[in-house]
Amino acid sequence: MVNRMVMNVAIDMPAGLMETENEKNTSVYPEVSVGVPLVASPKMSMRNVDVFYGEKQAIYNVNVDIGQNEVIAMIGPSGCGKSTFLRSINRMNDTVDSCKVTGQLTLDGEDIYAAKMDPVALRARVGMVFQKPNPFPKTIYDNVAYGPRLHGLASRRAELDEIVETSLTRAGLWTEVKDRLDQPGTGLSGGQQQRLCIARAIAISPEVILMDEPCSALDPIATAKIEELIAELSKNYTIAIVTHSMQQAARVSHRTAYFHLGHLVEVNETEKVFTAPEHQLTEAYITGRFG
Amino acid sequence: MTDLNQSRTEQIQRSLAKRYRAEKRFRLYGTMAIAFGLLCVVLLFSDIISKGYRAFQQTYVQLEITYDANVLGVTDVGDSQQVALGDFQGIVKKALKARFTEVAGRKAKRDLYGLISNGAGYTLRDRLVANPELLNQTETLWLVADDDIDTYYKSIGSKAGAFIGRTSEGRQNWVAQLVESGDIELRFNRNFFTHGDSREPELAGIRGAAMGSLFTLVVTIMLSFPIGVAAAIYLEEFAPRNRWTDLIEVNINNLAAVPSIIFGLLGLAIFINFFHVPRSVPLVGGLVLTLMTLPTIIISSRAAIKAVPPSIRDAAIGVGASPMQVVLHHVLPLAMPGMLTGAIIGMAQALGETAPLLMIGMVAFIVDVPGGFTDPSTVLPVQIFLWADSPERAFVEKTSAAIMVLLTFLIVMNTLAVVLRKRLERRW
Repeated sequence: MVNRMVMNVAIDMPAGLMETENEKNTSVYPEVSVGVPLVASPKMSMRNVDVFYGEKQAIYNVNVDIGQNEVIAMIGPSGCGKSTFLRSINRMNDTVDSCKVTGQLTLDGEDIYAAKMDPVALRARVGMVFQKPNPFPKTIYDNVAYGPRLHGLASRRAELDEIVETSLTRAGLWTEVKDRLDQPGTGLSGGQQQRLCIARAIAISPEVILMDEPCSALDPIATAKIEELIAELSKNYTIAIVTHSMQQAARVSHRTAYFHLGHLVEVNETEKVFTAPEHQLTEAYITGRFG
Repeated sequence: MTDLNQSRTEQIQRSLAKRYRAEKRFRLYGTMAIAFGLLCVVLLFSDIISKGYRAFQQTYVQLEITYDANVLGVTDVGDSQQVALGDFQGIVKKALKARFTEVAGRKAKRDLYGLISNGAGYTLRDRLVANPELLNQTETLWLVADDDIDTYYKSIGSKAGAFIGRTSEGRQNWVAQLVESGDIELRFNRNFFTHGDSREPELAGIRGAAMGSLFTLVVTIMLSFPIGVAAAIYLEEFAPRNRWTDLIEVNINNLAAVPSIIFGLLGLAIFINFFHVPRSVPLVGGLVLTLMTLPTIIISSRAAIKAVPPSIRDAAIGVGASPMQVVLHHVLPLAMPGMLTGAIIGMAQALGETAPLLMIGMVAFIVDVPGGFTDPSTVLPVQIFLWADSPERAFVEKTSAAIMVLLTFLIVMNTLAVVLRKRLERRW
């Protein structure tokens, strides 16, 4: 059960963000995230988001936007709440009893946590790829076809075949598996499994894809393939990716958000974050002083 | 420095030897424990089989039977009332008298008539009804011997010497004559597999109890598996975690440890006295065993559901499956092998259960083979209990044979469980 508190948040940028800050901030968390957390016409926007696990607060007052067809990377040390935040975006946290999300999260202006928002419909629009490749113990075909079948996206077998083929092609897996669609998806290699999971996620044509450390269990070659794929997918989809690898964030994302112990410290153009971080904590992290 | 190193190496060597000895000892204990267990099983089985295998054979005596209409009092075989009243045991007596013409005197004659089972008349009646043209004809037939003769004949030539018991000298002589003429032999005991219980050991069969067990188990599995799985799914997937569900969980675990006779009392009070379900029938037996089996099935099903990796759930939720779809499409198929194993273990337990069934009247002496869920019946373990309690010597081997049948049932069920699990198991 998710308790919810709607706050009247002015969608305009908070005053502090307008000022250009020349000197580096101190190590205390900034009142508002430094950099450019908000964009002009966001696909998704999060305002004053707090997340609690029981008594423990995991996310503190996060304000951030995700633009249309943008790849936003979330980085930060372990336990900083980036995965928790990502799972709040498509209400995956609903399954955790003790989890409570407050604040306002919207998708195309619709409140995600509103009573009339159906979490099942939401997850069809906001797909997710997980850290560990988790194909169903079914055939490759059925793995991809599962979502479309659930949502009744194909009325005929030929239509379903087409969806499966396009999804696998987009996930860069079609040529590798087209001759063995009836074999179990669990028999593929780790990297192929993860691309299968991506194919499964895009088979229902979501608007946003959330990726929770999609490459952390993969070798560098498989990682490179997934990263290429992300660049390709960003033409059609909005992507939020959590990653532990700063190089990966630098390679794939347009903007980067740095989380620290539940606080969103800094959001900016990826290049800026990695070349000229505005906040001391961000700088410390990207230069490898901790994390 | 080198001295120090050397002494340290020696120390390690010494301690290593000690560790290896301890390890060897530990392995030996394990081997001994398993050997002891196997020895017990072998002893148990060899005892049961050595005592029981003879029950699958029965002593038969060959006689020349004349279907004499006058003795029978039957003129028309089509008349069922005449046939029902017919003195078929009379023609057996006549045949025996004809075989041993020298026998005279009331006592000796009664002794003689006791050679053949009281049930032989029924065999003859069934034969006559099936073949009406046999009336007033003569044929040579193998008839079931009395249980005392059976026990005596089987024990002839055994190391412990022949078991005489109630077998009089006259009977011993007659048996000797029959052996000489080859008119007595051991044949496969069909009665044991086709008859219900009987006071006469040579007529008693396991079929009534086996069918009773089958019907009872059908009721048990039809009720306890769906209820148990539904309860497990609700508790594991949908129920909120609060004081009430904690209370329910504790109580389910407690129920699994309740002595089974208590469930019998509960069944007696609720199903029979309150709902007026007929007593001694497989229906009420199945209901009581359902109560007893439910905790086992719920606990094992919950464990099986818990063992489904959360990543599969996440994946299904992530592509927009509703909670019910997550359960039906993913959790249930993956948990099914574990659930089935639990159910079969529960069933095996129920199959061997005696105490609760005593409370609901399934201990009655029932001769008919039950044909449905509301026919009075007994079950295999109760039948074993009843036979073990009977004074006739011939019931000893019947008891062992019944145990063998029960064990066969169990082995078949466990094999089924293994096969099902192997078939349904999916790797991920």
